[in-house]
Amino acid sequence: MNWNAWIPLIVVVSSALPGLIIFNLAENRIRLRTTLNLIGALVKLLLVGWMLWGVYNEQIFETRLPLLPNLDLVLRAGPWALFFVTLSTVLWLVTTVYAIGYLEDSPHRSRFFGFFSLCVSATVGVALSGNLITFLLFYELLTLSTYPLVVHRGTEAARRAGQAYLNYTIFGGALLLLGTVWLYTLTGTLEFTATGFLQNLDEEHHPALIAIFVLLVSGLGVKAALVPLHGWLPQAMVAPAPVSALLHAVAVVKAGVFGIVRVVYDVYGVDFADDLGVTDPLAWLAATTIIYGSLRALFQDDLKRRLAFSTVSQASYITLGVALASPIATIGGVVHLLHQGLMKITLFFCAGNLAETLGIHKVSEMNGVGRRMPWTMAAFTIGAFGMIGLPPVAGFVSKWYLGLGALESGEGWVIFVLAGSSLLNAAYFLPILHRAWFLESTHPWPKERKFGNRETALSLLLPPIITALMALAAGVFATGSFSPLEWAQLIARREFHQP
Amino acid sequence: MINDSYNMILLIAVAWPLLLAFPALHSRIPWPLHIALIPTLVLIVFPGTVSLPLPKLLLGTELAINGEVKWILLMCIAVWLTAATVIHSSRDNSTNNHRTYFLLALTGNLGAILSTELIGFFSFSTLMSYSFYGLLMHGSDKQIKNSRHLYIVFLVLADVALLEALLLTASTTKNLDYQTVRQTMAETSSAQLYFWLVIVGFSLKAGIWPAHQWLAGSFKSTHRSTTVLLGGVPVAIGLLGALRWLPIGEHSFYATGIVVIVAGIVAILYAARKFFISTSLMMLPAWFAVFLTGLFIIMLGTGSIYPDIWNRNEHLMHPFIAVLGISLAAITFTLSRRQGKEPDTDSQRANIFILWAENGFDFIQQWTEDRRLILKSFWNVEEKYQGFMDRAKPAVFMSRWSTAITIFVFLGLVLAWLAA
Repeated sequence: MNWNAWIPLIVVVSSALPGLIIFNLAENRIRLRTTLNLIGALVKLLLVGWMLWGVYNEQIFETRLPLLPNLDLVLRAGPWALFFVTLSTVLWLVTTVYAIGYLEDSPHRSRFFGFFSLCVSATVGVALSGNLITFLLFYELLTLSTYPLVVHRGTEAARRAGQAYLNYTIFGGALLLLGTVWLYTLTGTLEFTATGFLQNLDEEHHPALIAIFVLLVSGLGVKAALVPLHGWLPQAMVAPAPVSALLHAVAVVKAGVFGIVRVVYDVYGVDFADDLGVTDPLAWLAATTIIYGSLRALFQDDLKRRLAFSTVSQASYITLGVALASPIATIGGVVHLLHQGLMKITLFFCAGNLAETLGIHKVSEMNGVGRRMPWTMAAFTIGAFGMIGLPPVAGFVSKWYLGLGALESGEGWVIFVLAGSSLLNAAYFLPILHRAWFLESTHPWPKERKFGNRETALSLLLPPIITALMALAAGVFATGSFSPLEWAQLIARREFHQP
Repeated sequence: MINDSYNMILLIAVAWPLLLAFPALHSRIPWPLHIALIPTLVLIVFPGTVSLPLPKLLLGTELAINGEVKWILLMCIAVWLTAATVIHSSRDNSTNNHRTYFLLALTGNLGAILSTELIGFFSFSTLMSYSFYGLLMHGSDKQIKNSRHLYIVFLVLADVALLEALLLTASTTKNLDYQTVRQTMAETSSAQLYFWLVIVGFSLKAGIWPAHQWLAGSFKSTHRSTTVLLGGVPVAIGLLGALRWLPIGEHSFYATGIVVIVAGIVAILYAARKFFISTSLMMLPAWFAVFLTGLFIIMLGTGSIYPDIWNRNEHLMHPFIAVLGISLAAITFTLSRRQGKEPDTDSQRANIFILWAENGFDFIQQWTEDRRLILKSFWNVEEKYQGFMDRAKPAVFMSRWSTAITIFVFLGLVLAWLAA
């Protein structure tokens, strides 16, 4: 029996199965639910580690199951796919630990953790998809499994956010479906290949290919929060902090961006997309989103809303890196997929800690909080510095390669976008740090410390510290073996056929 | 074997204060701020030139020490030890956070001095600069916010400018060590842009005129331990960065050099004027710093125009920065001690504009009389000597005297450099 042919499927099922069991557990079965969650996350992590080692040594992991005539459900672990799968798997484990602490006394935990697990299965499915139809299936499953998480609190605001989320994503899904079907009728295949599968089409089809590109990118752009399709993301921040972390750093936004990457590289092929003239408008759209998101973040007093607009901006770095169509920019874009995930999840965990422990939701309420919750704010500081792009945090490495890639591809204007974005990032993150560390508290914190000498519960404190250290390590040891940067360089070499 | 151990001390010198920066460690160790400098002291005492490549760190970096670096390290140790002693001896509530900022800034400072390539310097100096913000905030006058706000705004702008310069460099050459960068960037078509990005970036970081406002404000409003560090840390590292990054000595940048020299002259004149009309004693080192950085800028401008002169005299620049850092620390320390004893120092000198506002055009006579008294007290050796002997006014004497001696030494150095 060839195990390698089943491992991608087992990786998807390893979180779906616990999720389905958890749905049927009573609310008071806390220990069993926690055990199932953690076992699922650890099994997935082990399997992903196995696949990483195998792919590094050029082994093939592919599950192929018949779906429709001439269309298979294909799960394939290439360097690209594994990069995203590793991010999702590692951060799912951390987020699960965080969510267990965060929702300790909340109702409907079985429902929450059930959908939480399904959401990660869908994300891993999106990452491992070997063709566009498989991608589409898991992409829609992701929409369906995240909606209940967005409305989990059941408040009026949550319902409104959920409604907006559904409206946007179903519209996006419809565009994506339309583009996929059109593409299939034109080519008869939807299989992802390293150089794309459209270059051999006659020139008469080029206008149609451009229209299909617009449909696909618009559909994916909803989840990727490209302007003007980003409206759902700031609204969805009413969800609990672990869900926000999942939406912004692990699953939804990343799935959209990853889809754009797949379309450019594995459907059109980066050279063909460049020849077709679709990468330049995509780069401009990404640049506009970067600046727009940062500008909007600047004026938000609600901490999570500020972080949400920051995601709108930061996620587009990945799209920008891909649209620049150069090996070095690709490294920058790819590596930012993981770096942004680590930094943003840290920030959302910290925002959750502040809200849960001290009831802080607004930036204007954060005066002096660094003295009350030093570890949380230290993690927040690392995440914020990374977002600004300060060395040695991971964000610097991303911006470094994006900048070099822009110069390599002769797109000097991107440097100004990166500089402007860095300035804006500093303008909306540094005042938070100033307030937290250097200003006196304007109102007394609750005197009662429920967690002994610790600033908050250990399950809430450890995840942001771990992810902050990972973001720091990804920058400090960027050139180390098996670092995200090395993996991104491997991907770029394969995409651009370099030795 | 001995050489390997010595190499490792390079890493330990940077890593040790970083490790101590954890509150759990430095709160349990006596004299942590002093102990943090021990590996650096060992590094200075050992002879020779060594380097430690660290290819897996920060996109690949290297730490090294040679004769020139030892000058800066010496200054660094003197300044940080003084500040550590001030913190230790003062009754001021030096919090864990303050010690953490102190040790992080020290780590960044040492790393920037020892790094041999641009990314290492940029990374460590960034760590130093942002940690230094924490030091500026400590015990500072809460009413005077402008200097701190300016510091952080200038810092962000400087980092963006320097990152752009770094990207320009990295797109031209793979090797980012100082010597290669100088040679390569002098010959590229973007040499002028690179030159200005570096000049602007480090001027903002070092508080060089016209970006000096944060520096001047900081001398007046921050804690004594921090003012001691101002000259030797942000100013000195800014000058060192300009020295290492600028492609001077390869080709002549005539027009750029002229502009830089003019800026330097204006800075000197401005600082000199401010020095004599300042009403605050603690502002004197600030204007002195602006004066010295103006001199430095003139030297850079001269080197930009005449590469031969630069190549003959470049070895003097590191000692210049070292003496600048030490002398500013000494002056600040002395003046701040005096101010501690006589808090109402502002009343001793009258600002020309205040006099004008109060007395109309009669101010001229009053101002002239005031200047005459100041000059008389400044140069009256007999009175100084008497004051020193009867210990009635030793602080006054020492503060003025150290200022005068330092200016004299620097003018001598500059004249010697220009004459050579």
